[in-house]
Amino acid sequence: MRGVAGLLLMAAMLAAQPSAPAGGERGLDVFNKSCATGYCHGVKGTPGGAPRLAARGFDDAYISQTVRNGIAGTGMPAFGTSLDRADLLAVIAYVDNLNGVTPPPNPFAMQREARKLSPDAQRGRQLFADQVRAFQRCSTCHQADGIGIAVALPFSSVPESVAALRQIATPHVETATEEGDSFPALALNKSGAQTKLYDLKTLPPVLRTLPKGAVTFKEGSAWRHEAMLASYNDRELEAILEFLRAVVKP
Amino acid sequence: MNMRYVLLTLSLGLAALWAQNGATSKDWPSYGGTQLAWRYSALDQINTSNVKKLVPVWQFQTGDYAQGLQSTPIVIDGVLYLSTTHSQVFALDAATGKMIWQYKYPMPRGAGGNIQNRGIAVGFGKVFVGTYDDYMVAIDQKTGVESWKVALADSSQCGCSITGAPLLVKDKVIVGEAGGDGAFRGFLTALDAKTGRLAWRFYTIPGAGEKGNETWKGDSWKYGGGATWMTGSFDRDLNLLYWGIGNAASDMYSANRFSGEGEGANLYTGSVVALDADTGKLKWYYQEIPKDVWDYDSAYECLLIDRPVRGVMRKLLVHINKSGYTWVLDRTNGEFLGAFPIVDNHTWLAGITEDGKILGRVEPVEGKATLICPGPDGGKSWNQVAYSPRTGFMYTPTLEICSDSVSREQTPVEGRGFLGGTWSHRAPAQGPAYSHIDAYDPVTGKRMWSVRYKYALLASMLATAGDLVFTGDPEGYFFALNARTGEKLWSFQTGAGNRGSAISYSVNGRQYIATPTGWGSIAGRGLTSIWPEAENFRPGSTLVVFALPESGQ
Repeated sequence: MRGVAGLLLMAAMLAAQPSAPAGGERGLDVFNKSCATGYCHGVKGTPGGAPRLAARGFDDAYISQTVRNGIAGTGMPAFGTSLDRADLLAVIAYVDNLNGVTPPPNPFAMQREARKLSPDAQRGRQLFADQVRAFQRCSTCHQADGIGIAVALPFSSVPESVAALRQIATPHVETATEEGDSFPALALNKSGAQTKLYDLKTLPPVLRTLPKGAVTFKEGSAWRHEAMLASYNDRELEAILEFLRAVVKP
Repeated sequence: MNMRYVLLTLSLGLAALWAQNGATSKDWPSYGGTQLAWRYSALDQINTSNVKKLVPVWQFQTGDYAQGLQSTPIVIDGVLYLSTTHSQVFALDAATGKMIWQYKYPMPRGAGGNIQNRGIAVGFGKVFVGTYDDYMVAIDQKTGVESWKVALADSSQCGCSITGAPLLVKDKVIVGEAGGDGAFRGFLTALDAKTGRLAWRFYTIPGAGEKGNETWKGDSWKYGGGATWMTGSFDRDLNLLYWGIGNAASDMYSANRFSGEGEGANLYTGSVVALDADTGKLKWYYQEIPKDVWDYDSAYECLLIDRPVRGVMRKLLVHINKSGYTWVLDRTNGEFLGAFPIVDNHTWLAGITEDGKILGRVEPVEGKATLICPGPDGGKSWNQVAYSPRTGFMYTPTLEICSDSVSREQTPVEGRGFLGGTWSHRAPAQGPAYSHIDAYDPVTGKRMWSVRYKYALLASMLATAGDLVFTGDPEGYFFALNARTGEKLWSFQTGAGNRGSAISYSVNGRQYIATPTGWGSIAGRGLTSIWPEAENFRPGSTLVVFALPESGQ
């Protein structure tokens, strides 16, 4: 199995730029921008940092599966969620063509149709994970629609209003004390051989594993969800709620 | 006898008197040996007179074969710590190779990007390793049990990952980021070593309203690259942390990011920065490559040495850029003191003036290939130089590989590739591609000796007080050169290509030389387009350890 994985790795590397025909101009363009660079595959499917793709005997099923899902444990990313449907089909058709395969007319239904978000929700999605805010953004602790770090539990509902979002109670956040250092903490495991907790003293939260008995817990803390929202104004929070309403399934 | 020679001789004498502590001895405590990045061991049990007797004494196969073994082991008190491509970490008995513990990082499913790991830091009872999905992890040094873990970014969003070795500075772990050939804004993060809590973060591209942001056009600063993908250095006396900053993005197309305003261009990409180690505040910067369009990262190691320059003792930072040029800076203030090429082929410029200005830039253009030397693999790859205070020479692995580059306007999509063009490997105009190991006077740039090699040398250099320089080649040979002459004194076929960084240490008075073996990496795999036989450079992931036969044998 190792050998197979190694082979696949050789057969696959990362993302981004150019070369020739089926899939039309669009396939060529997507390939050039997403697959062919000196660091990854070469133009026209020649080898670059990643292996050759032309004339490898790949079939359409393998190509589409690999382009969409990537190859775990290698540099080959999953394009299924990052390219839109038309680009995805075009680039698969292009690689099909490099392997002498004629792509089936309507290849494979996309597992995930690109969701239509309202402009507000789209803006909310961007704000939720806005990189310019460094750690002062929702995605530092929350995951939604596949983006963000899942420190908090998955959303089960969306607050009614910005005011409600600000005032969310956080009864699970306790005060932990280790060697005289007290800090707000979200405990994951207090009863095992080791204590596991998220240390919330600074952002980003740190998942810490401590010897049993090294930490004591006290109910409640000075930690407030509202303080974590300081980088956003009400309008922005409204857009974030719009995004969450669109993607959170109760 | 010319003046330069007199100065050189004088400088060597003075250097010996003004001793810096850049050498390792029984331990190999930090990625670059010490925080000064010399990769020099003061051990001399193995030396020019006996190196021929060197034999392998143990080896360790990690089982993690993807991308070869690119790491630098760390040795402290007879225990060797080794990281592998998928951020596995091993603690081994440094005398026997017996495994003490193994830590297996759970890699995320369907992860994209370039998975590799070049090393770890050890201290405060912990081993620190970065991961492909941008977590920093601390492992208990005694038990191998995870102590803390923190996400420095959402890797699926930023396309960034931690591939370099962290640097332990006082009570903090300093961590760089890879990802600067994508639409990404680089940063350097300092964490409290004990708790993992954020101490500071330095963005390599100033944000809106900050000085330097005006050198970026519109919003281009948000995705302008500036990765920090290798490991920096630290001067304890000055309390300054030095780090090399990667290329601007999009890599080969600058019209959508160059504002023409302010000093420099696209700050602080293509620069070396000096930061206050406690606060992360910028003290000075020097931009080697303003408005980069060649993918000439300034991300490589910062060699910190004290040497006379034009008769005056200076605290220097010697820094090789991907462009094949070496910059010599005063590390107290960033003053430019000189620059010299280490490559024979440098077609991207006509020269550098005495005050550091780049003349006669040859840039990639749209719609047609331009031959540019060196190519984006660099005049040197990330594998590191070594410096010997005994010879006063800097030892460099240099590549003579060019590229046909084409630039192209591209719209950034966060976390996705953002090269702004394409490139392919090409041989230099005058003949085939090759590489060479050289010894340089690191101040004047005088080449003291040179050894040519027919393929690309992508392993780091190790210098020792035995007046030896060790490194390996892609065909699997690990070898020792005479540090004063370049004469090859010994070699050993390790069985796999060399792409890692050798170290030296001792246990109970016996000196060891340890080298990672196993071919891999982006640059390594890309060589097939220039040497088809590079397909046969052997992968693997084995640490091979050498010593002299024990006395009495």
